[in-house]
Amino acid sequence: MSADQEIYQEQILGLTRRHFFGHAGLSLGSIALANMLAGGGKVQSADSVNQNPLAPKNPMIPAKAKHVIYLHMAGSPSQLDLFDDKPELRKYNGKPCPDELLKGKRFAFIRGVPNMLGSPFKFQKHGQSGTELSELWQHLPKVIDKVSVLKTVKTDQFNHGPAQLYLHTGSSQFGGASIGAWATYGLGSDNADLPGFVVLTSGGKTPDAGKSVWGSGFLPSVYQGVQCRSEGDPVLFLANPPGMDRAGRRRTLDALKQMNDEQSKVIGDPETLTRIAQYELAYRMQMTAPEVMDISREPKNILEMYGAVPGFVPESDSAADPRTAYKGTDAQFANNCLLARRLVESGVRFVQLFDWGWDHHGVSPGEDIVNTLPIKVRQIDKAITALIQDLDQRGLLNETLIVWGGEFGRTPMAQNSPNQKFPGRDHHPYAFSMMMAGGGIKGGQTIGKTDDIGYYAVEQPLDVRDVQATILQLLGLDPWKMHYNYQGLEQRLIGVEGKATIPKGLIA
Amino acid sequence: MIGLLADICLISGALPMRSTLQLNTMIKSPVTLVLLMLLVIHQQVLLVVAAEADKVDKVDFAREVRPILARHCFACHGPDQGQRKAKLRLDQKVDAFADRGGWSPVVAGNVGESEIIARITSHDKDEVMPPGGPEKRLKPEEITTLSRWIGQGADWRNHWAFEKPVKVEPPKIKNADWGRNAIDGFVLQKLESAKLAPNPEADKNTLIRRVSLDLTGLPPTPEQVTEFLSDAAPDAYERLVERLLASPGYGERWARIWLDLARFADTRGYEKDRSRPMWRYRDWVIAAFNRDQPYDQFTRDQLAGDLIPGSKPDQRLATAFHRNTLTNEEGGTDDEEFRSAAVKDRIDTTMQVWMGLTFGCAKCHSHKYDPISQTDYYKFYAFFNQTADNDRGDESPFESFPTVAQTSELNAIDRDLETAVKVFAFGPPRKADLDRFTALNQRKNQVLEACRTPIYQELPEKSRRVTKVHQRGNFLDPGAEVAAATPDSFPKLKPGLPANRLGVAAWLFDPENPLTARVTVNRHWSAFFGQGLVATPEDFGSQGQPPTHPELLDYLAIAFQESGWSLKSLCRMIVTSSTYRQASNVSAESAKLDPSNRWLGHFPRTRLDAEMIRDASLRVSGLLSPKMFGPSVMPYQPEGIWRSTYNTDKWVTSPGEDKHRRGLYTFMKRTSPYPAMITMDAPSREICSIRRITTNTPLQALITLNDTVYIEAAQALARRMAREVEGADLTKRLEYGMQLALGRPAKDHELKALTGLYIDRVGFYQSDPKSALSMSTNPLGPLPSGLKADELAALTNVANVILNLDEFLTKP
Repeated sequence: MSADQEIYQEQILGLTRRHFFGHAGLSLGSIALANMLAGGGKVQSADSVNQNPLAPKNPMIPAKAKHVIYLHMAGSPSQLDLFDDKPELRKYNGKPCPDELLKGKRFAFIRGVPNMLGSPFKFQKHGQSGTELSELWQHLPKVIDKVSVLKTVKTDQFNHGPAQLYLHTGSSQFGGASIGAWATYGLGSDNADLPGFVVLTSGGKTPDAGKSVWGSGFLPSVYQGVQCRSEGDPVLFLANPPGMDRAGRRRTLDALKQMNDEQSKVIGDPETLTRIAQYELAYRMQMTAPEVMDISREPKNILEMYGAVPGFVPESDSAADPRTAYKGTDAQFANNCLLARRLVESGVRFVQLFDWGWDHHGVSPGEDIVNTLPIKVRQIDKAITALIQDLDQRGLLNETLIVWGGEFGRTPMAQNSPNQKFPGRDHHPYAFSMMMAGGGIKGGQTIGKTDDIGYYAVEQPLDVRDVQATILQLLGLDPWKMHYNYQGLEQRLIGVEGKATIPKGLIA
Repeated sequence: MIGLLADICLISGALPMRSTLQLNTMIKSPVTLVLLMLLVIHQQVLLVVAAEADKVDKVDFAREVRPILARHCFACHGPDQGQRKAKLRLDQKVDAFADRGGWSPVVAGNVGESEIIARITSHDKDEVMPPGGPEKRLKPEEITTLSRWIGQGADWRNHWAFEKPVKVEPPKIKNADWGRNAIDGFVLQKLESAKLAPNPEADKNTLIRRVSLDLTGLPPTPEQVTEFLSDAAPDAYERLVERLLASPGYGERWARIWLDLARFADTRGYEKDRSRPMWRYRDWVIAAFNRDQPYDQFTRDQLAGDLIPGSKPDQRLATAFHRNTLTNEEGGTDDEEFRSAAVKDRIDTTMQVWMGLTFGCAKCHSHKYDPISQTDYYKFYAFFNQTADNDRGDESPFESFPTVAQTSELNAIDRDLETAVKVFAFGPPRKADLDRFTALNQRKNQVLEACRTPIYQELPEKSRRVTKVHQRGNFLDPGAEVAAATPDSFPKLKPGLPANRLGVAAWLFDPENPLTARVTVNRHWSAFFGQGLVATPEDFGSQGQPPTHPELLDYLAIAFQESGWSLKSLCRMIVTSSTYRQASNVSAESAKLDPSNRWLGHFPRTRLDAEMIRDASLRVSGLLSPKMFGPSVMPYQPEGIWRSTYNTDKWVTSPGEDKHRRGLYTFMKRTSPYPAMITMDAPSREICSIRRITTNTPLQALITLNDTVYIEAAQALARRMAREVEGADLTKRLEYGMQLALGRPAKDHELKALTGLYIDRVGFYQSDPKSALSMSTNPLGPLPSGLKADELAALTNVANVILNLDEFLTKP
């Protein structure tokens, strides 16, 4: 942690103390207030950090990315059917799994000796890089030379909730701060009229670990992700109540400000000035957020490029079990990708997408490799491809890091379940595939190699912590030094012990 | 110049010997001297400072020196054997002063011979400590402190918080106009030494609002304000305090705080996050606060009520405290993994809540800063490792705890069942009788299920678990077997105490235990003053902040013990002090001399917490339901918030008064907490939360401006303004609204602002009847007869402003 960060943490802690800045604070507060009242979204002055915890801050180390779009496939897609082709596995298809792979291993559902499951899909090399992809990807090959595929990511956890927490907060227990919270804590937000950390969900459900995967944990709650919604208010409570027009809201806020100003003169609490400023920000957010969140403002060609459909409400949204109602034409994820681009373009620091429905065990309809996986890929393939192309054509790809992946991978064995009707795979923490692109990532390469059946890494093993470290590093936040003192420990995204390395060759 | 330098050296008496020798040989030419001065200028300045400071006061090891050692040295030279470098410990006196073959880390009175000084000031990158580059180096003032401490004789004491509190007589107050009880003596002493004066007493309107919010979580009603203002007796305030302490709202307010510590919620946590009936426990907490159950008994019941011989149902119900841990029902989970995670959470929570220790650090390795080994952790874990719960989907073991109403219903059912059985005795049962019998039994089960609460249950002797150290915290990697015991650095269980949770509960209240009383009074202090006397209520260890008023902290701790652990007495003592009763205005002088208000020269304003904002808005608008207890309720929440995996539970707005209950009764779903609460800094109750960090954000503004809850409150407040004021005088209406909300008369400038707003808005609503109707009735309901929509809509706008005033959202 740099001296700046240290002072900053003290200031944050100081938020619990009134009058932290005393009269000096009054003037600082006034400056901050003047800046915020001046409006225009962009917060210019880093001095106002004293009062506005989301004011932009300088990176600790040179940054390659300004923004992150993290695409999380909750449930965890099968790397063996999407990225990691294993001809050997096909040979063993249907045969019992060798003993040595089962010895001493814990599985979520597999009991006894399962059979090996070769991928039913064909693989082909694409692009100049010759990156291997399964036939399920129809669009991704177009941008594959911009993408780095990581094939050997390992995690510590093999149940969804704990693994999602471990990936996003660095701890499998509740209470940690999520990546987006760390990013906004370290860097603030470039647009004061929008939340700095936005969360968008699709697939009909929130992730297994709940909203803690975008929580602020031990960091102040101002850094938690703000879930923006495609129905109702894009941000909760954004719209004025029925019967209150915008002019009326302005009028009430004027009266409020007038009265609060007087109060501040009498009492001299700088927090009052901050409150006035926050109400003004809220007023501007009421205008800005719906504009930014309205994808129908995009031209037709862009909507088509993503496969986005403004106002789309999928059937799966209202189904008791959304998985049985998935359709390849479901535009919700595509809408969110387009929205992510609009948000990043407006200065939002961290956009987190969660798409639910990737837990393909093969024990019931709607969760298997042969039928469901292709549908889920159709929902995301075109949109992810478009996102990369679109950011690129706007010159934003080099400053926007895109990360794609699940919380773990899936086993080379079929889940040996007595009531199995469709092929599916159990949870596999030892090696799974992720993609990274843009924002300082060297594209057109595959990093790491797994063994013949895709069970373990044999070349360049990586860890979830390495991915976390890379994200922070690219944002200009030193993953080893950036910490927050809590409960007597220097808490870090990559864990108290700071065990992480930036994967060799990953950064351009 | 040479003379000057020499003088400095002499005065300081603290220049490291090596440097002194160098000095004598080097001060031969002016050039060397200049060079030398450049070289030593850094230290020189420090030494001058040190010399000056020495004249003033003695370095306090516990508060000034130990934190420096802890921060910079203990990670490698502390209690953690696994991390220890060079077999050197600096957290224990015997090691820090030991002769290590011709040298010692610390030589009392001799800065030059003390190796730690040589190391921290070394310019040799292989020698300098701590390693890791310039940013790891000690700050100049830290080096000065260490040098002064050694120069003064290196007085060594244990970490302050690990020594028993010592009772100190409160300082006599010279200023006769100010000060009521012992608290004030301690506070005034610090203020005076900081050349500050306390604020005068706040006005009575402020006082009643402040103390009502603090003790009951609610603003006062106009009747309560009138009663207090017209009470001219000298003990009017004290009697007000007694009324508040005796009101049921007291228990609800302090239960709210306790429920953060207890990580109380209505669901299980992970994934499906199904509901779990814990409300009977919540109600137990409220009742326990209201009857001022002594804190030692309150603790014993929660940690070990099931183990009390002949335990009462209430005591077993209290053990739900530690059944608030998460249950993972996700398919394919290893129950033992999540059972042991729950036990660890109980250990961490127990030590956090009662002892203010970051004990959890020791689950993977020995604590780096405090004397807690990994073995200590699992020895303590063993006490809690013997309960029957096991991350089961049915949440067993549980017990039904019928409320009074449920008990009488059950009794009635039992009587009916008896009658039904008697009927069966007269020959073959008819279908109608059988149906009735079945229905009665079903109803009985329903009632019992509705109050069925997970509890603690000790395993029988034959199936007790063996506890082993979890190496690196991993339950799959067992190490040495351990027997249940308290941590080595703290007092042992008193002879005669059982080696189980009941023993632990007694041990926490052993007069030798240095922490429990201090930690509790500090947490209470922070509830009133926004910040504890120890600013880190979650960490009383060596990494935490030292107390601003150590003697006051100890005084309160001992008074708390002597009161028989009465929390109401503690509250009473705090709120009747002059310190608490000060005005909150910030004087220019105190802003300059004490910008962070450490010395409490004024009462610190704090924003109301999440539940208080809700409760206050509903109270002043007249909507708040006074109903206490019962299953959690669902107030207005926007559509589409609940979308947990594999869970089809729906949020259905509670009917009638249940949607207007106090915030602490709001259904708390862990994976999807009530949005208005978490945005206002409430925790999501997955783990123990010792304090809420208050933030100030635009999203909070949007809630109190636009959330249906607050719009409805504004509508209701507007109707009160219109209906409860005689005639239709606008000014009187506005005055009444301000009085209701703020408990004080409106000021002229406020009336002017609100009048302007009203006139402007009523014009708008006259021209737009549809908007007027929405604004005045949605969601509150049809207009009362005789009231006009446009007027009420404009008044609703006014009320919306009043309920968003900084003053309304802040404890004054």
